[in-house]
Amino acid sequence: MDKASSDHKNICDPPGGILIWIIIFLELFTFGAALIAMVIYSKDEPQIFSESRSHLNVIFGTINTILLLTSGFFMVKSVEKFKLGAIEKTSFYLKLTMLGGLLFLALKSIEYIDKIKAGLTIGYNTFFTFYWMLTLFHVIHILVGLIILGTVFIGIRKRNCTITINDFEASAAFWHMCDLIWLLLFPIIYLIF
Amino acid sequence: MKSQYFKIWFFLIVLTIISALFSDNFKNGAIVILVLSVLKFIGVSFYFMEIKKAHIIWKASVVSFVTIFFVIIMLTI
Repeated sequence: MDKASSDHKNICDPPGGILIWIIIFLELFTFGAALIAMVIYSKDEPQIFSESRSHLNVIFGTINTILLLTSGFFMVKSVEKFKLGAIEKTSFYLKLTMLGGLLFLALKSIEYIDKIKAGLTIGYNTFFTFYWMLTLFHVIHILVGLIILGTVFIGIRKRNCTITINDFEASAAFWHMCDLIWLLLFPIIYLIF
Repeated sequence: MKSQYFKIWFFLIVLTIISALFSDNFKNGAIVILVLSVLKFIGVSFYFMEIKKAHIIWKASVVSFVTIFFVIIMLTI
């Protein structure tokens, strides 16, 4: 395991590496632009957006936010332990991180099933078109994040671990990016209309 | 350092719960919700993603993005 820590004060070396941060900003711009479009559309149909928003379960959304933030906290602990070379504790916190992601997906699935049963599908109205597209796109990011974390988990358990701190930090940055995207989605989709 | 991350996590959870409470119960709640969201975004990026240890350009980029984004949303709603 490469424990060499890098100088994050260098402009070309933010935590996780410059490439992951380029991806993070691209993702944030993409979701941000879609959310701005959603708010602009809401000006044409304020009643529909307000009524549709009331069909969403704010408690589910809040619990999911808490799950992702808690998962992010465990990810931070996992990175901290990895830097100390404590593989057992790194694995433990990584498992908790992934559990948070899985619970998020489980609750999101319950929410999706409720919406489908109520007939609130992607074509129901403009609000639900945005709801399904944005939240499903976010779910895909969570799935990719879980695959990345699962790969890292398997990697650090191997006797000849080749995972470097930069690899680990980049994986963590991707996972936190899922938090950041949700922190944009949650207030706008679930709370403000 | 250990307790600092826990404090940040606790702060983020409290802000999330306050945001949820504001969704239906208060007039002009949207502005409060969006301001709290900016704080949560900065909390995650600066502390969990350790951008506070990065070059000032990265810090400025994150703060600029989230500020401009939520100002556009506030002006549009």
